[in-house]
Amino acid sequence: MLAAGAAAAAVATTARPSSAGSLTAGEVIERMKQHIGGPWREGGVDGFKAGTPDTVVTGVATTMMATFDALKGALAQGCNMVITHEPTYWSHPDTLTYIQDDPLYRVKHAFLEKHNMVSYHLHDHWHALKPVDGIDMGTMQRMGWMRYMHTDNPRMFTLPPQTLLSLARDFQKKMNDRTLRVVGDPAMPVRIVYESWGNCSQFPGTQFMNTEADVLVIGEAQDWDLVEYARDLVSSGKKKGLILLGHVLSEQWGMKYCADWLKGFVTEVPIKFVRIIEPFWNLRHPVFEINTRI
Amino acid sequence: MANPTVAAPAPANSFFRVQHTGPLTALQITDKIMAQSGAPGRAKTVDRITAGDPTAAVAGIAVTAMATFDSLKAAAAANCNLVVTYEPVWWMDDDSLDRMEGDELFAAKRDFIQTHEMVVFNFHDHWRDRTPDGIAVGMAKALGWEGYLADASRPATFRLPSTTLFGVAKELHTKLGDRTMRMVGDPRLKVRTVAASWGNTDQITMIHLLNEAVDVVICGYTHEWEAVEYAQDMIAIGDKKGLVLLGDVKSVEGGMKYCADWLKTVVTDIPVTFVPVAEPYWNPADLG
Repeated sequence: MLAAGAAAAAVATTARPSSAGSLTAGEVIERMKQHIGGPWREGGVDGFKAGTPDTVVTGVATTMMATFDALKGALAQGCNMVITHEPTYWSHPDTLTYIQDDPLYRVKHAFLEKHNMVSYHLHDHWHALKPVDGIDMGTMQRMGWMRYMHTDNPRMFTLPPQTLLSLARDFQKKMNDRTLRVVGDPAMPVRIVYESWGNCSQFPGTQFMNTEADVLVIGEAQDWDLVEYARDLVSSGKKKGLILLGHVLSEQWGMKYCADWLKGFVTEVPIKFVRIIEPFWNLRHPVFEINTRI
Repeated sequence: MANPTVAAPAPANSFFRVQHTGPLTALQITDKIMAQSGAPGRAKTVDRITAGDPTAAVAGIAVTAMATFDSLKAAAAANCNLVVTYEPVWWMDDDSLDRMEGDELFAAKRDFIQTHEMVVFNFHDHWRDRTPDGIAVGMAKALGWEGYLADASRPATFRLPSTTLFGVAKELHTKLGDRTMRMVGDPRLKVRTVAASWGNTDQITMIHLLNEAVDVVICGYTHEWEAVEYAQDMIAIGDKKGLVLLGDVKSVEGGMKYCADWLKTVVTDIPVTFVPVAEPYWNPADLG
C-alpha cells in the first residue's frame, strides 16, 4: 500500500478537503498490484493504452472491452479511468503500427484525450488473480456455479443432470445471449462442463474436449480447427457438446467482479461496471443497440 | 506426365520410360489440378495431399468445403476416394500433426481414411489465387449476384438493388441456408454496395474493407476482439456500416461447388461429386 500511503501524504500536505480529486490512475494500478496475489509481470499486454499514470481519476469504470460505446458509458457515469479486459485499439497487443493514419483511430484517440481519459488494459493479470482467475470467478458468480466447481480443477463443474439444450438455454438467459451457437445433439445428457471463457485455440481446446467433461463452453473459436474437431468427435460417436457464447459475453461478468474487487481498496472515487452490449444480432432478433452519438 | 488420362499399355519400345499405365493415381490428379488452376503458386502453401497414399488409384473425386468426418463418410458412400477440400482435414490451417500423438479422434479419422483407401487433398491457396478467385466466382454464382459485380477487377464487390442490412442478411440466409449467421450494425441500414471477403478475414484486411466506399462487409469469420470491435466503433461514431459473419463453411461452400464443376472439365474420365457440409451450429431459439 505504499502508493496509497503516498497519495494520502500528498493529500495531507496540500490540505485538500478529501482524497477524492487527487487519486491518480498510477496509484490505482499500484494498489491493484498489491492485491493481485502474485507477481506483476512485464511483457504481457497489460498497461496504459490511453492516458498517463498521473491522470487524476474522477471514477473507475471496469468493462469487458473498451469499445467506443463503453467509453461513452464510462463518461456518462462520471468515470475517466477505464479498466478493460480486451483491447482499446482492435488487436490483442493494441498494435498501432498499421493504424497511425486510420480515421477511426484518430477519432477514438482524440475522444480519449479530450475527456482526459485513461484506458488501462487488464488482461493477463486479471486471469492471474489469486486464488481464482478473476474472469472465472465473475462468471461462476453469474452462473451460480460456485458449489459445482471441482476442487482439483476450477474450470470443471458437475451440474445437476440436464440436456445440452437446457444448458444452452440457461446460458442464453443468464448471459442475455441472443447469438450463442452450439455443436452437438440437443438431447444429449450433460453432467460435467469444462469452461474456457474467451478465445479458445485448437490447442488446448482439443485436450479440454477429451477430458471427462460432456460439454466444453467457450467464447470464441475458429470453425476450421476446434469447431471442426468438435463436430468430428460427435461424428465419431462420442457424446460431446461445444457451446460458443461469443467472446465478450463469455467473459464480461469477470469484469463485474473486477469492479467489486476494486471497491475493496479504491474508496476515494466511484467504481462502476460498464456492461457492454452483445456485438451481434441474428435474423430472429434484429436489434440495434450501439449508441451512435458522439 | 504429358497425358495423365491415358491408361493404355505402354508401347514395347518405351521400356526405359517411367510411365504409369494403370488407373490414375491421386498424385497424378492433384498435380494436374494444381497445374490447371493457373495459380502462380506460393513459396509456402497449405495445398498438398494431407492424408492417404498418393499412389492410390482414384475411383471418384469428392469436392467439399471442409473434410469433416461427415464429409469423408459421404464421399465414401458416393464411391469417391479422392477428397478435394478447401479447409483442413486435421483441424489446423496447415494440417499440422504436431500435437496429434495419442489423439483418439486423429486415429479414428486416419483409420477411416486408410480402410476406405481414401486420399485427402487440401486445395485452398491455388483456388483462391486463381484469376479470378475461384471461391469468389462460385459464391457470386451461389448468390445469383454475377450481374451485380461493381468492378470487373474485383470479384467480390457488388452493387445490389437498394436494400437494407436486414434485407441482405435475409437473402444470404435464404440462398446459403445459413441459420446462425451474425450481424453488426443497424438492421435498417440502407445498403447498395457490399464487399465480401469470403472465408477467414484478418484484422487489417477487414479494417481496410470497412473503410472503403461500401455499406456492408460480408465475411466468414473475423476475430471478435479485433475487427468486430472496429466495426462497432465505426458505427458508434456515426458511420453507416454493417458487418455480416456467415460462419466459415457457409462463406466458401459455393466456391467449392463451383470447383466441382470446374474439376469435371479438368478430369473427364472419373466421376466428380460435390459433398455439402452441414452447418456446424444450432441456436437454442431455433429449436422451439
